[in-house]
Parts: sequence; structure tokens; C-alpha cells
Amino acid sequence: MHSRPWKTISTVLVAALCLIDVPAARAQTQGGGVAGTVTGPSGATVANATVVVKNLATSQVVTTTTNSAGAYSVPNLPAGEYEVSVSAEDLEAKAVKVTVAAAGAQALDVVLVARPLPAPSLSDLGFSPQQLTGSPEEQARLDHRTHMLKIHQRLGLFTTAPLAATVVAGLFAGGRQESRTGRNVHAALGAVTAGMYLTSASFAIFAPKVKGAKSSGPTRVHKMLAWVHGTGMVLTPLLGAMAYHQLSQGQRVHGIASYHGAVGVVTLSAYAAAIMSVSIKF
Amino acid sequence: MKKLLCVCLVLLARPLAAAPDPQWTLVRSTLTYHVSHPLHQMEGVSHAARGKGVCTAGECDVLVAVPLPSFNAGDTNRDLHMLQAARGATFPMVTVRTKVPESGAASGTIHVDLEVEFAGQTAHYKQVRFEVTTSGDETRITGTIPATLSDFKIDPPSLLTMPIENQIPVTVELTWKKNQ
Repeated sequence: MHSRPWKTISTVLVAALCLIDVPAARAQTQGGGVAGTVTGPSGATVANATVVVKNLATSQVVTTTTNSAGAYSVPNLPAGEYEVSVSAEDLEAKAVKVTVAAAGAQALDVVLVARPLPAPSLSDLGFSPQQLTGSPEEQARLDHRTHMLKIHQRLGLFTTAPLAATVVAGLFAGGRQESRTGRNVHAALGAVTAGMYLTSASFAIFAPKVKGAKSSGPTRVHKMLAWVHGTGMVLTPLLGAMAYHQLSQGQRVHGIASYHGAVGVVTLSAYAAAIMSVSIKF
Repeated sequence: MKKLLCVCLVLLARPLAAAPDPQWTLVRSTLTYHVSHPLHQMEGVSHAARGKGVCTAGECDVLVAVPLPSFNAGDTNRDLHMLQAARGATFPMVTVRTKVPESGAASGTIHVDLEVEFAGQTAHYKQVRFEVTTSGDETRITGTIPATLSDFKIDPPSLLTMPIENQIPVTVELTWKKNQ
């Protein structure tokens, strides 16, 4: 019944079947596999988890996802060692090694744990952006301020020397009997003191101000005392000049000029107190 | 009977597995730096620190941060000088990071390694001792960080041409609350 052409075709088909990739053919025919359920940390099933089954010998990979009941199944796997990797959103990925037999599905349920929380960062603490952001300009302002106040402090300390010398020289310049030289020395020392004092004060007055910083503590006392010795530093030379003039005329020191010494003592006291207010903790 | 036992075990285990990683929040704080000068001792206090601890696998990552301008030494100039010397306008935050074993929350004394960022520098302090006391749902941690100016490359500020000492120990009192 069979004609010759049909015989030839059959022979070619048989030959072609023999040339088909043998492992692939075996995969189609063998009944191994892996199947299971993926659950999360609460025990609830995880839908849409990605399941990657990797043959450790051939590195061949089969990927699937869990269904709405958290179940997955990868059938038709050649027997061998596999790595099953499961990942899902917000959960820590997990990889499990499993041996798949030549026949039957290997059961593999996977429990995923919560992904560890990241270490806390500054943004978690609720500080405002202004609190977190640095300002080089503000730093430069602070640096300039500190630099000027250091000069103010040093000059202020040095000023105590001519100031004390002026007071001592004043003891020999007050009476009509005192020499003109004593008065000149006193006046010259007073002028040096006033010059140094005003220079020192200018460094404090013109130091950059810091927005929102209100004086408090000893600095507040220091500034209040500055009003006293500042006024004294202006008045004392004026009254001294008047007293000098009166004495030069052969007169007794009279009128408001007679307060020159007292104003000088108050000025010196306020000045000393101002230095102590920021030096010693009361 | 065996089946019942298994069901019981599963039911008991589930809540444990479901428990999320605990977190800690700083609810109260007092940080005090101490400065020694030949003429007197000074200290600056801040209550403005904020902190968070995140625990995973029995270990807690802890971060505490405090704005440098929040320290008050009771004197404007002193605070502004500190801010200037510590480059506080450029680096306004001081941060302390550490890892604490979760079990440490119950014990009396813990020793932890600290990483402190201050004035644009990072310093590490090994095995700093802290006392831990738990009262109700709050845990109080006290201790002293042995900080120095040189650790942070800060030139010692001076008063009346006399510099302050290098040591600036920082006393820490932190009250934490656990929130699941």
C-alpha cells in the first residue's frame, strides 16, 4: 500500500526526530518540579511574589509569580540541584536550595520576613531645613565678630595700665601747690588712656551683630557697666581740662570741675567691674 | 493530640513572627558640656536633642542629634563664642551614632562605641559607659562622653588671653520610649 515517496518522507522524519536536542526533549517528558506557598511575616500569603528557580548545574532559570493565594508551581524540571529565590515588595528576599527529583513536585513553602528598617538618619528626626543647613556667610560673620571682640578684650586689658597710672598721677596734680609737671603727666596719661579706651570700645561697638541674639548673663552686666565707664571716659577728660585751666589761672578748682576726681574714681571702678564681670563667675 | 499541639504552636508563633522591629524615640534629653578655664568652670545645656533607635535582629541603630545653637551657657557672648569656635554656623548639628544591643535596654550598665560628628569632624569613642534605668515604658540612659577639643580640631577659645582646657566632657541624660 505504501508508495516509495511516503517511505522516504517517513525515513527523513525519523532521522529529524533523532537530531532533536536530547535534554530539551527530556525536560518535556520528565515530571520533576517545585511548588509551594509564599507567606509573609504575619503569616498571610503573599500574592505576586517573584519566584526564580535556577538550575545550579546549567544555570537555566525559570521565573514565575505567586497567585492570589500565594501559591506557585514550576513543573517539568530536570532532576537536580536548584536554587529557589523569592522576592516581594517590602519583604526581605530569600533564596533556598532544593533538590528536585526525577518525578513528582518538590514541596517548598517559603516564609519571607520584613525587610530590616534602615538605620535612622537626620531626616527622620523632624528638624527644620533651616536647622540642618549651614551658612558659610553666618560663620564668616561670627569669625569676624570674635576677631574684633578679641582685639577689644586685649586692648581693654592693656588700657588698665595707663588708666591706673593716670589715677596715681592724679594724686600729685590736684592742688594748687602741686607742680605743673605733675598736672601735665596726669593729663598726658589721661589722653593716652582715653585714646586706648575709645579704640577698644570701637571694636566692641562695630563688631558684627548676630540676628536674634539678646544680651544675657555677665555680658549684659558688662554692657550696662559700659554705659557708666563710657560716660565717665567722656566726662573725666572734659572736667579735667576745666580743672587744669582753673589751676593754670591760679584758681582753686571750682564748679563742676571739682567733680573731676570723683568722676574719675567712678569711671575706674565701673571699668574694673566690667572686666571682672566677664572674667569671674559670680 | 499531636495535631492539636501543632495548631497551638502555630497560633503561638504567629504573633511573635508578626511583631515588627521595635523603634525607640527620644522623649526627653539634657546634654551638658563642661568647660574648664583657669578663672572658672562653665557649662552649656541643651534640651533640644532628638533621637531615634531602630532595632533589627537584636541590635539597635541609634541616632541622636542636637542643634549646636540650642546650647545655653547663661551668657550671650559665651554661646556665640562657642558657636564660632566650633564652626557652628557651618555645621549646626551635633550627631551621635551608636549600636546598642536590644537587651541593653534592661541592664544596669552598658558600654557602647560612639561616633560623634561635631564641628565638621568625626570622632570615635570606644566602650563609653552608660547607666540604664527603666521605669514604666521609659528607659533613661545617663553617661559622659569624654570629648576633647582636639578630637574635633577646635582651637581652644581663650578668655583674658588664657585658653580653656582641652577636655570638654559632655554629660548625657536621655529618656527613651519604645514604640512598636
